[in-house]
Amino acid sequence: MTSWKLPVYITRHFLYALFLGGIAGIGFMVFLIEFDHLTSTEEFCTTCHSMELAAETYRQSTHYNPVSGVRASCGDCHVSEGVFEATWDHFMGSKDLFSQIFGPDYDDPVVNALHLPDAAFSARKWFEERDSATCMRCHTLNAIQGKRPDTNAIHVEETEGKSCIHCHINLVHRKVPDQKTFKREKWNAMIEEEFGLEPGAAARILAEE
Amino acid sequence: MDQPLNRLLLFVIFLSVSLPISAAKVSLSPDKWGDPAGKECVSCHEKSSAGLTTQWKRSQHAEAGVNCLDCHKADIDDADAITHEGAIIATIVSPLDCGRCHTTEYEQQRGSVHSEAVTLIENRLPALAGHVGGAAIVAAGCDQCHGSTVRVRGDGTLDPATWPNSGIGRINPDGSKGSCSSCHGRHRFSKAQAREPSACVRCHSGPDSPDKAIYEASKHGMLFESQREEMALNSDSWVAGKDYVAAPTCVTCHMGAAGKLKATHDVGMRNMWSLNTPVSQKQQLVVFEDGEKIELPESMPSPRRGSEISKMDGTMGKVKAAATPARRRQAMSMVCLECHSKPFTNSFMNQFDAVVNLYNEKFGQPAENIMQQLYSEGLLTPTPFDEPIEFTYWELWHDEGARARHGASMASPNHTWWEGMYLVGRNFYSRFLPQILEVAGKERGEQIISSHVLSREGHEWLKHPNKKNPILGYGKGRLSDD
Repeated sequence: MTSWKLPVYITRHFLYALFLGGIAGIGFMVFLIEFDHLTSTEEFCTTCHSMELAAETYRQSTHYNPVSGVRASCGDCHVSEGVFEATWDHFMGSKDLFSQIFGPDYDDPVVNALHLPDAAFSARKWFEERDSATCMRCHTLNAIQGKRPDTNAIHVEETEGKSCIHCHINLVHRKVPDQKTFKREKWNAMIEEEFGLEPGAAARILAEE
Repeated sequence: MDQPLNRLLLFVIFLSVSLPISAAKVSLSPDKWGDPAGKECVSCHEKSSAGLTTQWKRSQHAEAGVNCLDCHKADIDDADAITHEGAIIATIVSPLDCGRCHTTEYEQQRGSVHSEAVTLIENRLPALAGHVGGAAIVAAGCDQCHGSTVRVRGDGTLDPATWPNSGIGRINPDGSKGSCSSCHGRHRFSKAQAREPSACVRCHSGPDSPDKAIYEASKHGMLFESQREEMALNSDSWVAGKDYVAAPTCVTCHMGAAGKLKATHDVGMRNMWSLNTPVSQKQQLVVFEDGEKIELPESMPSPRRGSEISKMDGTMGKVKAAATPARRRQAMSMVCLECHSKPFTNSFMNQFDAVVNLYNEKFGQPAENIMQQLYSEGLLTPTPFDEPIEFTYWELWHDEGARARHGASMASPNHTWWEGMYLVGRNFYSRFLPQILEVAGKERGEQIISSHVLSREGHEWLKHPNKKNPILGYGKGRLSDD
């Protein structure tokens, strides 16, 4: 009869540590998952007043009120799938929190609107880098039917080398032109007109920050 | 430069400035179009917008290899440039864009009465469309013929109050004026379609310029309708008297090639009279060195070549040439002469001129003078259209007055009289004159009427209340009218 023995370094303390570490690890993962869920909700995001301004247009969009009733929350689009990616996105997103506290007064609708294009450009870049992965959580290319007969054909035949964001911008938030054809002076003039500011005020506000 | 030389120069311009409308072949080398990136648009757009893509596929543009991007491409700095599937494009294809290939047509339409259709009414629009109508009317009414000033918003979208629009004098985001698709339906761009009288009807209809109806009521329109298959509307070369003889269309007389007369995209070039004014004037066409143009009354001295005069927009411009009214009439008559004799043509023009003169002298001029007097004496408020007589006056010259003159110019007897001068007369005698008494009071009113109307030729009959006539039943049933 051969005797089977644990290696000598597996001591009782080692087993305790392994057990406790395992529990702690599971707890940590559960925490991250819950944390990511919590911090992806509209309620959480709009605790910053500046995000309430972004939510206003979101609440008018079909992503908020689709006929199907499938409502996409902030995080469904703006936070990646998977706990590690999601955590990373939230970690990176904390720089927005930093800007919110120490940067320009994004709670001011004028300041917010003046900065919106830059926010849109970086969001679009984020989607491009991930091949619009968060869109495809819900949308499946082959299954897109649309209202027109050729919508499906376009999505199946004309999308080689493209992801959703290449064609679909300005779906949810306030319309911002593509970065290539964006004209800052025109944007400023529009915001000045909208808020009844004198010409040149927008450039001054941006310079003051 | 002396006058005869000036005229000679003009004649040369008339004959050489333009290529025949039919033969305005694009002289550009074909490597200027057929942008490879533009070929990629088609496979998606034949699904997403099958209608316009199919129209394009059937066009001569497609046949020649002109693709979407050739017309729609834009520079990043263009006010209305947008990014679309990786390409920088503009929704609006302006005359300047079309002019990348169709240079001659662009230069001709530039400064024409068509391309200046916004500028021409700019100062009166607020009073009429703004007060009597409203912003919605400006966008869906006035601007759809005259053209909007297209506004690009800060977010890159085209202001829906100004777009869609294919008004002929549209002021485009690139600063050019006009809209080729006003007459040339996009995306088929069929020659035949633009040569049809129906190409003009969207705007040349209604009370002030029912030109399509006038044309249809004329012998020319009748012949076109019954012999349209002989019109060679699809022919590359389309010279009246050579390629077709059945009938002239709007294009034939106002733009088309006829005999030795070259075609032009300056639609007003052959018009001697201004017909849509309170009082018609014979007008000379001044062409500036930069291609812009202005109409001046015959009474003003003809500007010399090289001299500087005020342009439409108030800035100064150097004069390149001036066409006298007689020269313009001569050009128009060259079209007539393809089918009619000289005496016939001249006599027709005499009949037309007589109607214009009658309108001017009997109604237009006195009415204009009276209105000026009422304003200067403070008998009317300066605000237009807040007094009934202002509507009467407006319709007198702008609606029925214009109708009578247009009717005579294009040989529709009914528009000349019943739809035109009869209504001018009716409204002049039964509305305008009584309203003068209302605003000026009986005594002053009668003085004004006496000095401006009764003293003029054509109104003497008003002084003879006993001139008997059975037209309205006077004397009916009586043996004698003692």
